[in-house]
Amino acid sequence: MSNVIQASNLTLAYDNGRKEIIKDANFSIKKGDFVFITGPSGSGKSTLLKSLYGQLKPSKGNLVVGGNDLAHISRGKLQELRTHMGIIFQDYKLVNEWNVSKNVVLPLMIRGYSNEIQETQARRLLKHVKLSDAGERYPLELSGGEQQRVGVARALSSNPVVILADEPTGNLDDYSSNVIWDLMENACQQLETTVLVVTHKIPTIFSLPYRHFIIESKGVYEVH
Amino acid sequence: MKSIKHHLMFIFPLMAILLGIEFYLVFERTTHSYEKTLTAGYTMLVVAKKPLNMDTLKNLNSHISSSKQVERENIVSEVVKGVSKSNSDAILKALPYFYNIGLDAYVHTSELDKIKADLEADTNIRRVETFGSSYNASYKLFSFVKFTLKVFILFMGIVSLLLIIKQMEIWKYAHKERMQVMEIFGAPLMLRSGVLFRVALVDAIFATLFVSGIFLYVKFFWAAQSGVEMMMKNQEALFRVGDIGILLGSAVLIVVLAVYSVVFSNKGVQE
Repeated sequence: MSNVIQASNLTLAYDNGRKEIIKDANFSIKKGDFVFITGPSGSGKSTLLKSLYGQLKPSKGNLVVGGNDLAHISRGKLQELRTHMGIIFQDYKLVNEWNVSKNVVLPLMIRGYSNEIQETQARRLLKHVKLSDAGERYPLELSGGEQQRVGVARALSSNPVVILADEPTGNLDDYSSNVIWDLMENACQQLETTVLVVTHKIPTIFSLPYRHFIIESKGVYEVH
Repeated sequence: MKSIKHHLMFIFPLMAILLGIEFYLVFERTTHSYEKTLTAGYTMLVVAKKPLNMDTLKNLNSHISSSKQVERENIVSEVVKGVSKSNSDAILKALPYFYNIGLDAYVHTSELDKIKADLEADTNIRRVETFGSSYNASYKLFSFVKFTLKVFILFMGIVSLLLIIKQMEIWKYAHKERMQVMEIFGAPLMLRSGVLFRVALVDAIFATLFVSGIFLYVKFFWAAQSGVEMMMKNQEALFRVGDIGILLGSAVLIVVLAVYSVVFSNKGVQE
């Protein structure tokens, strides 16, 4: 099976290469893999995720995502690549002046789907995340757990090839956490979506086979 | 209420810039017409030994646009009363030729000196009287009024631009979150900036309409009753339909530059 993500001697740094976070990392991730990335605070987990959606360019080495070398990708290509990604943030990053439905269908809006398709998808996804009645509400009217479920619905809305999740259940209650893990497991199992989750702790109840990377001392190591 | 306040915070400085542009247009038109009147009313006097024709004068200086000979008999008739015919003929024969010379533009005083020098270089021309001191006084007054109004317009433009930059800072923070989220999900520039563009374009249209309205009022209601001769004479120059296009074009250009500055300052890829 082909690699969706391939890192070769990947170095990630801030301050024009002066502050190295990850050094000479080598790993590959295949289509349909479910990957947990753990490590101590400040080890570079979120930095690695940022680089995977092109928010941080590699300072050395190669990082190929979906056949695109992110060190040399054009702005247009990066935009196109991002439309095939579902990204989930610990702080949700919802647009507060938009209602929940509009937030959910943002990726569909970007890809130019009709209003009818957007409305249908919004209803379907909100039902999946158990927020059927929240479509017309605004993010700030929801609890943290509910906002994160909106974030997950948004990430899933355009059937992405890759889901990148940064501490998706960080501060959530058990109910919301379970809903989120279920959704990501289903996406991986049924749609063969590649899922990368940065987390402090791998959930104790997890039914799918998964891979586990640890980031430590600037290196990325596979342990499971 | 908050939304109206945000709109007004952009509309007012934009209106100030558009007022400046329209002031400039009106001022250029009215001063141009005033310049024409001054030019038409001005002549210099040339005294020549032999008759001069227009081609000769034009060859001496291209600014010369008209020449009119002062009737010699009329000049003589005033001084020959009681003088015999033979003496009067002798005076007429000895009298040089006088010409009133008109120019094609309201030239700078230094240019007036050059015209005088060019004419005096011809051996046939005995004397040139430019009436320079009165010309100089009105030219300097005219130039001063023009300069001060341009400085005022420039000052208005700079202050308004600073207010627009301030508003851009507000936009930057107000729209930052949405634009960054949209960028992360791969939205192209036009989609990311779409909301801001719509808001700003609506403001640009309102600012254009307000400024056009002010000048239309001045043209059709105020100018006629103002008693200001220059206004009444140049009422047509106060506002033209084409000005709406210039104002809207300028407003849209400012909006495009302002919105793109905000959008580009919000882009997030770190190298």
